[in-house]
This record gives sequence, C-alpha cells and structure tokens, in this order.
Amino acid sequence: STEALVRAPLPRELLKVLGPQSGSKAAAFTEAFLGSSLQRPGNHDLKNLLTHKAVILGYARPKKQKTKRSSKRAKGLTAQQKKALKVFQIRPEHQRYELFLPLHDLWRRYVLDLCAGLKPTCSPQFVQQKLLKADLHGAIITVVRSKCPSYVGQSGILLQEFKHVFKIITREDRLKVIPKRNSVFSVEVNGFVSHIYGSRFEQRASERSAKKFKVHGSIDL
Amino acid sequence: MALQLKDKEAHQRLNYLYQAAHCVLAQNPKNVELARFYCFTQKTIARRLVLRQDPSVKRTLCKGCCTLLIPGVTATTRQRKKRKTSFTVVRCLSCGQTKTFQNNPDYRLWVERPEAQLELQEQAKGMISQNPLRCRSNSSIKVTPT
Ligand SMILES: [Zn+2]
Repeated sequence: STEALVRAPLPRELLKVLGPQSGSKAAAFTEAFLGSSLQRPGNHDLKNLLTHKAVILGYARPKKQKTKRSSKRAKGLTAQQKKALKVFQIRPEHQRYELFLPLHDLWRRYVLDLCAGLKPTCSPQFVQQKLLKADLHGAIITVVRSKCPSYVGQSGILLQEFKHVFKIITREDRLKVIPKRNSVFSVEVNGFVSHIYGSRFEQRASERSAKKFKVHGSIDL
Repeated sequence: MALQLKDKEAHQRLNYLYQAAHCVLAQNPKNVELARFYCFTQKTIARRLVLRQDPSVKRTLCKGCCTLLIPGVTATTRQRKKRKTSFTVVRCLSCGQTKTFQNNPDYRLWVERPEAQLELQEQAKGMISQNPLRCRSNSSIKVTPT
C-alpha cells in the first residue's frame, strides 16, 4: 500500500507548489544540469591532435600540485587559484539585462521591507539612513553627475559593487564599469530619489555595514 | 521573537544577499560567478559584524569558493558508506571542495535542543550576554540539508 501511495498522482491543491516548473526555468535548469553532470568527451579534438602533432623536446613534467593539505590550514582557494577560476567575473554570455529583472524586483521588495513599507509620509532622512546601510546589488542606478561627461546618463542594474567601481548592466545588455570617484549616482525607490556621492562610498560592499558615516557639511565631486 | 534584534538591518542585508544568490541561479543556473559574489559578500559581512549564520545557510555555502551549493546545479550529492555508517557527500562543482554529513536522523543541532532554548531565555532575561543572537532571519528561504 505504501508503494501505491508513492505512485499516486499529486493532489490538485498541491500541484501548483510541487508540480512541474514553468517552461523557460525548467529548460534552463535541465541544460545546466546536463552540462554539469555529463562527462565531457575527452578526445573530441583527436583529429586535430593527430594532424598537428607537436614534438616537444626537453619536456619536463608539470609539477604535481600538493593535494594533501594539513588539517590546520584553512580550506579555501589561494589567490592564484582564484585568478585562474575568475571567481567573480560575469561571463559575456550571461550579460543579459532581462535575466536580472527578477533580481531588481527582489531588491525593491527588500528595500520596502527595510524601510517599513516606504510610505510617502516617511521622512527623507529616515530613508537615507536606511539606504546607507542597505545592500545596493540589484538596484537601478543612474549617473547624474560626473567629472567625466561620458559617464553621465549611464543607467542600469547594479550587479557588483567593488571597492572603487560599480559594475552595472545596461538595457542594451552591456556590462559597464563605472568608477565611484568623482561621480554622483541616483537611486529611485517608490518616488524617493536618493543621491549617492561615489567619492564617499569608496569601500567594499561588505565594509559599509560596519562603518559609521559622518555628516559632512559640503560635498564636492 | 519579541526581542529586538540588535543588528536587524545587517540581518536583513544578509538575508537579501542569500536570496539574491538564489534568484540569480534560478534565473540562469550557469551564472555561478554572480551568485558566488553575493555569497562571498554575505560571508564577509557576517564575519565583520560577528553575526552567526544559521547552520542551514552555512551548509549550502562552499567553504572553498563561497559558491551557493544547490544539488544538481552547482553541486553533486552522493551517498557514501564507510564501514557501517553512511554519509552524504556534497561536492562543489566549481572547486571540488567536499562537505560530509553523517546520515543520522536523530541528530539535533544545538539550537534545536531544549537546553539551548533555556540558555537563550536566560540571556534575554539577564541581558548580560554580549554574544550576538543567532541569525534566524536568514531562514526565510528554507533549504533543508540532508
Ligand atoms: Zn567550491
């Protein structure tokens, strides 16, 4: 009887939650899953290998990497490995604006939650205080002013925040790297427009949570 | 919880970053790099502010490269047996780092044990503790490790 229970079709009310995913998402998952789980054919360029046979004289075997680590050493990649892996680089084929729209939606909901609903009656100071410590990944930012005029007007979803630059993706599917120094950015949420002075923001994304900001009298670019 | 969390904004930020990583991977399972960047940021913030992450969160992050481990997408999950005990081995597909969990349905995390609740209550009463509270806010996306 247990087996029959296992094979029984899903109850109708649960079908929406547990049932098959929508088309595009399922397709993307399947493709990635197959790509990562199927073994790559090792000798697919065998023909090429045989026609252009290189004879290396004085060949030295590559040094074996030490795989066994002492238990004391922390897990994690060395800087060299990180560089080889390109750990945080977004590959060109993934740089598509519409893929990041859900991220922007999520960010909006996050800010609404953070600012307690963000009603029009909220004081701008309150919103500013919250946004200062908030995460900006996923926000749509626009360069309002800059010392370099070609940056002005650039707008897109912020994907990565580094110490000195923002990486944004524009509507035209282009990944732009914009230095924080000497630029003013604007962020809009529910009618509240906040300006970010890039020169005051020159730190890593993770450092801002702990930092205390001072009130400055005047800020130039 | 009636108790006011000390670093509520930071917890919300950690929660958002974790969800953002999930969101990116759900949209494009191959964009591991961006998800990894968010998880890395999350980890650094938690370390900086000395906030403890919930075990359910920690178990889904690779210790080697900070990749979000999702079985079938960025990680493989296999059953291994050593003598009489069986283990679940999760291997990160980006760097090859593995996590091993013993299969023990009776295992209880410290937070799930009654003693822990007692300790937490005493802390709240006395307000003497300087230890930050556990980050439970991160569990709004529920990923249950085996
Ligand atoms: Zn890894």
